[in-house]
Amino acid sequence: MHTNQYAIIFYIFFWVVRINGCVRRGRQPLLRGPGWFFNVAVQPDFYTGAGRTILHRYWMRMFIPFAVDVPLAIAIFLSGHLLLLNWLILGACALIHINHSFSVDLAERQARPLAVPEAEQPVASIVLSLKPRRLRDYTNRKVEWALALSSLVALACLVRYYFAAPEHHNLRLVFGVPAFFLYLQAGMLFVKRVVVAWRTPVPQVQAEEHMEAREETRKYYLRTCDWCRAAAAAGILFWPIAISTPPTGFNRVFGIWFAAWMMIAVVATIWVEIRRKQLVKLALRARPVKLPDFLHQSEIARWPVCYQPSAPMLLLKGARGYSLNLANTLTHLGAAYLAGLIALFALLPKGP
Amino acid sequence: MLLTINTADSRPIYQQVADGIKELIARGKLVEGASLPPVRQLAADLGVNLNTIATAYRELQEEGLIVIKHGSGSVVASCTMTERSQDELLRPLRTALTELILAGRSPSKILSMVARELTLVGKQSK
Repeated sequence: MHTNQYAIIFYIFFWVVRINGCVRRGRQPLLRGPGWFFNVAVQPDFYTGAGRTILHRYWMRMFIPFAVDVPLAIAIFLSGHLLLLNWLILGACALIHINHSFSVDLAERQARPLAVPEAEQPVASIVLSLKPRRLRDYTNRKVEWALALSSLVALACLVRYYFAAPEHHNLRLVFGVPAFFLYLQAGMLFVKRVVVAWRTPVPQVQAEEHMEAREETRKYYLRTCDWCRAAAAAGILFWPIAISTPPTGFNRVFGIWFAAWMMIAVVATIWVEIRRKQLVKLALRARPVKLPDFLHQSEIARWPVCYQPSAPMLLLKGARGYSLNLANTLTHLGAAYLAGLIALFALLPKGP
Repeated sequence: MLLTINTADSRPIYQQVADGIKELIARGKLVEGASLPPVRQLAADLGVNLNTIATAYRELQEEGLIVIKHGSGSVVASCTMTERSQDELLRPLRTALTELILAGRSPSKILSMVARELTLVGKQSK
C-alpha cells in the first residue's frame, strides 16, 4: 500500500468518529430533559416557541466546520497531495472544538431571556477548594518516564545514524520529524497547564457533586492530552526505524507502524466514548446554577480579545461570548508556542 | 478543605477569604506547613481581582498565620510564630461581644454561645 492510501484510511476513520460526535453534540441541548436547554432551565413552552429556532440555529452551526473542511478535502483529493489530509484532520479537530464551544455559549446566551427567572439568579454562596492545583499533582510519573525514555532512545539512535556518515545524511531530514513531534509534546504539556488552571468555583448546594464532575472532567482532558503525547512519542520512536530502512522495505515497515497506530487510535476512541458517557452521568447529578460575576466580565470583555492585567483568567465570559485575555501569562506562552511552531515549519525539510 | 464565600455577607471578599482561612487553621483543618493555593489560582477560581486575594494573604501574613515564600507559594505558619499581644488578640473578641450586646443578647446567653463555639472549634482542632 502507498502512504497516500494510509492517509485515506485515516481520513475515513476521522469521518466515522466525526459523525458520532455530531450525533452526540446534536443531543447535548436536551440531555437534562425537556425543562432544560443545555445548562439553562427554560420555561415549559420553550421548545414550541422561540426556543425551537434557537435549537435549530445551534444544529445549523454544527455544520460550519463541514463548510470549511469539505471544500479543502476536495481540493486535496484533486491535487493528489493526500498526505495533506493529516493536516486537514488536525485543523478540523481544532475547528470543531472551538466552533462547538462558541456555539454552545451563543445558544445559552440566546436562551437566557427565555429561562425560568428564579434559575437565572446567581447563587449567594460559593465554595472553593483550598488544595493547590499544580501540573505535577496531575502527572503520572510512570507515563512521563516512559515518554521521556522512548524519546531519548529514539534520539540516541538518530544521533548514531547521523554521525555514522554525516556527509550522506541531511541533518534537517534526520532530526526534523522528531523535533516536530517533540514540539507537539511540548504543546500538549502547555494544554495540560491550561486545563489544570481551569477555574473551579462551585455552589455551596451540591458542592460535592459539582466538584466531582469538574475534577473528573479535568482528569479526562488531561488524560486525552497524554494520549496525544503518547501518539507523538510513537512517531519519534518510529522515525529511526523508518529512516534507516532501505527504500524497498519502507512500505512494509510503514504498514506495520500504521496498523499499530490505528489500533491505538481505535482503543483511544473507544476509551473517549466510555469516559464521555461516565462524565455525562456525573454532570447530570449536579444541577447547573448561575455563579456570581464579581469581576463584571460582561462589561470588561466586550470583544473576542481584551487586556485585563488584574483579571487572573485566560478566558473571560463577556457579553458576546468568550474573550481572550491578552494580559494573561498563558496567552503569552500560547503566542510564543505558535511563533515557535511557524519557525519550526520554516526549518523542516520540504521533501525527502 | 473548602472555603465558603457568601455574596450576601457584608464583609468584603478579601476579608471573607482571610477569615475563612483563619477558621480552617483554628479548626486544625489547615495544619502547620500545609500549602495554600497560589494567589492566581484562588483569584481565578473565585473570579476576582488578583489584588483581592493578595490583600487577604497579606493580612494573614501580617498576623503571622501564613508564610509567603516568593516562588514556592504560601504555607501555614507554625503556631509559635504568632507574636501578637494579648490586647491585639482580644480586639476581635471585643468587637464580636459588642455586636452581640447591641443585638440584645444577655450576658448569660452570650457566655453560653461563646462556650458552645469554643467547644466546637476545640473539638475540630484536636
